[in-house]
Amino acid sequence: MGGPAALLALCGYTLGAMLTVSGAVAGLPTTTVALLPVAITINIVMGKIVYFSGLPLQLDSIGTVLVGVLAGPAAGAATGALASIVVGMTITPGALPYAVTAALIGFVAGTLARAGWFRRVPTALLAGGVIGVFAGVVSAPITAFVFGNAGGTVGQSAVIATFQAYGNSMLKAASLQGLVADPLDKALTVALALTLLAGLPSGYVHRFPFVQQHRVLAVHRLVPRRT
Amino acid sequence: MGVSPRSADDSPVHRLNPLTKLVFAVTVTVSAFALTMTWWPLLLFCAAVLPMVIASGTLRKFFPMLLALWVPIALTVYVIQGFFYPETSRVVAEIGPLELKYEGLVFATQTALRIMVLMGGFFLLLLTTRPGALMSAMTQRGMSPKTVYVVSAALQIAPALAGRAQGILHAQQARGLPVKGLRGRVRALVPMAGPLILGALTDVGDRAVAMETRGFGTSRRPTFLTEVPDTAAQRVARTVMGLCALTAVVANVFGVLR
Amino acid sequence: MIEFRDFSLTYPTGSRPALREIDLVVPRGQICAVVGAEGAGKTTLAGVISGVVPHMTGGNPRGSARVGGRLLAETPPSELVGEVGLVMQNPFNQLSGARFSLREELAFGLENLGVDRAEMIRRVEAVMADLGLTALAGLSPYEVSGGQQQLLAIGSALVMRPAVMVLDEPTSQLDSVGAGLVFDALETLRARGVTVVLFEQRLERPARYADRVLVLDEGRIVADGPPADVLTDPRLAEWGVAPLRYTTAARRAAERGLWEADRPLPVTLEAAADGFAAALKSARTAGGL
Repeated sequence: MGGPAALLALCGYTLGAMLTVSGAVAGLPTTTVALLPVAITINIVMGKIVYFSGLPLQLDSIGTVLVGVLAGPAAGAATGALASIVVGMTITPGALPYAVTAALIGFVAGTLARAGWFRRVPTALLAGGVIGVFAGVVSAPITAFVFGNAGGTVGQSAVIATFQAYGNSMLKAASLQGLVADPLDKALTVALALTLLAGLPSGYVHRFPFVQQHRVLAVHRLVPRRT
Repeated sequence: MGVSPRSADDSPVHRLNPLTKLVFAVTVTVSAFALTMTWWPLLLFCAAVLPMVIASGTLRKFFPMLLALWVPIALTVYVIQGFFYPETSRVVAEIGPLELKYEGLVFATQTALRIMVLMGGFFLLLLTTRPGALMSAMTQRGMSPKTVYVVSAALQIAPALAGRAQGILHAQQARGLPVKGLRGRVRALVPMAGPLILGALTDVGDRAVAMETRGFGTSRRPTFLTEVPDTAAQRVARTVMGLCALTAVVANVFGVLR
Repeated sequence: MIEFRDFSLTYPTGSRPALREIDLVVPRGQICAVVGAEGAGKTTLAGVISGVVPHMTGGNPRGSARVGGRLLAETPPSELVGEVGLVMQNPFNQLSGARFSLREELAFGLENLGVDRAEMIRRVEAVMADLGLTALAGLSPYEVSGGQQQLLAIGSALVMRPAVMVLDEPTSQLDSVGAGLVFDALETLRARGVTVVLFEQRLERPARYADRVLVLDEGRIVADGPPADVLTDPRLAEWGVAPLRYTTAARRAAERGLWEADRPLPVTLEAAADGFAAALKSARTAGGL
């Protein structure tokens, strides 16, 4: 019983996350490096508020998406992976195996931002949905094989249990739960990240060349507004 | 919170090089997941993790932390897999319309015990190591200073922000706003989360400037103020543990132990 | 030490230049204060001298600006380490965040530069002794007061042995005790022969500590000279700078003939007290009172 699936999911994912981080962080400019810890803090703070509010949501990757949009896929991936390590060190070691999912969220957010999905609200929300699909699928092996489909919130566990009761395999049940819950969660995450961006001073995005180079945000955010 | 910023305790385990404890945590975790005997993780926990915890004198902190995080997961995995484990045959008991299944219970036991080892290994590391020492050790082993920076700064900025939030909560309480209970606190926290987070984001520009004017991000090879103690014995121990973990992985992948 | 020639700068988001036609020479060892209203361009000028603007913020410079002979347009802040140290307004934001004690925080810059460990320890201990931080060495940078954090920021710049220190409103977010600590540190800088450019919105401290005062208004230098001249200039209010209260009091007195004609208007409390005492005395001898 068990077989290599649990071990492969655990080791492969952790190794992948570590390689992602070591490759991605070295090339980042100082302003982006200084942004990462704050983004991680946003993940933790919002994640905690939502957790204690009892809402059936996660919203623990707002900072990751924000970095992806401001500084690109590599920075986004690093934020996600390092956030998992920080949560692993401060809240629960159970976050460590999910580092790759978190990294992927930042990576996909950055890639879609480069492609211009964040210039308008509808496509940005769609981007959230796409991020959610990736997140749901990639986290499923960890949820299923490492945590035996437990480890999430009560709501998540109930949904997974229902899928399993209808005869789905553990991995399939976890994937289905992810596909049901994550796109909505990540669309909301994107909406909140955009709200934060709108609240920042207009000169702020100029510190991040990625935004300029790929015209990541709508044009009206980049024209002079200073008096 | 798992990290004790400046723990006063001291023990042989506290004095170990942080890397040794990190390698230990990784090795027990990998071994717990690699071998497929149901009760193996429990043996590992009792024979490896527990003696270390006892030697470190942190038993009183260790168990409450472990139980608080582990029990809910263990219960969930027993409920889900006990009743809904796919492709099962042996039914142990029937509770109303639900069937408690033998294979599910075995799987749940194994998974719960594995998670116990994972959490135990890392709690041991965190309870007996100053984050600063762990970070220094990582940098000195060649991890990129930028990576180490992000983790260290996040470890300190999160509590600093939490402190600000706490201050605002107290102020609201003093003005008679209801912030009692978890829900009340959440309701009080939400409106201030926005300004607090925006403030933290705007601070980033200043911090980047402060870091850059102090030579951060130059390609020069850094030196270190604090030296992390290490011994030949620990170096050997780390190699041996690494080999054990590797062997366990290889054995698992090639199905030797199945 | 610092040399600006016809220097102007426009930010990418700005329609008007933030600095216009700045001509400025600051010799080695001078303590030069720059005063001006909010938005006059103080922080921009501080940023230019320390290499932060435009390298980290964007912006189009014109003209030339040099520190220690190096052209700032070609030198990012990380290459000015050892040449220029910068201290900003908010003490909390200047903590690297990555070090867990005051001692380690002070060593952060030296570690980045790869300074030899023995030398690093020597410099850190010396700066802590200079600034009175030795007793706090083992504390977390996040658990000391704002004033102490600002001292830490000054120390973190000072360990790099800069020739120039730029202090951008270093006490604007501190209480009077904290501000006192910071200005005592200014004496340490003077004793070390460090060139200091101090940006301030209020005039009490420049009047007391500076060798020279500049007034910045809408990005231009509109006055430049010794504190006693510049700070008594009747046009200060037009430039958006509130004159010192005792200067204003003496001016009112002078308008009514209650201030000795050959005595300059005061810029420090002591000079004001002396002036009023003298005026009182001469009024008495004249039999007016």
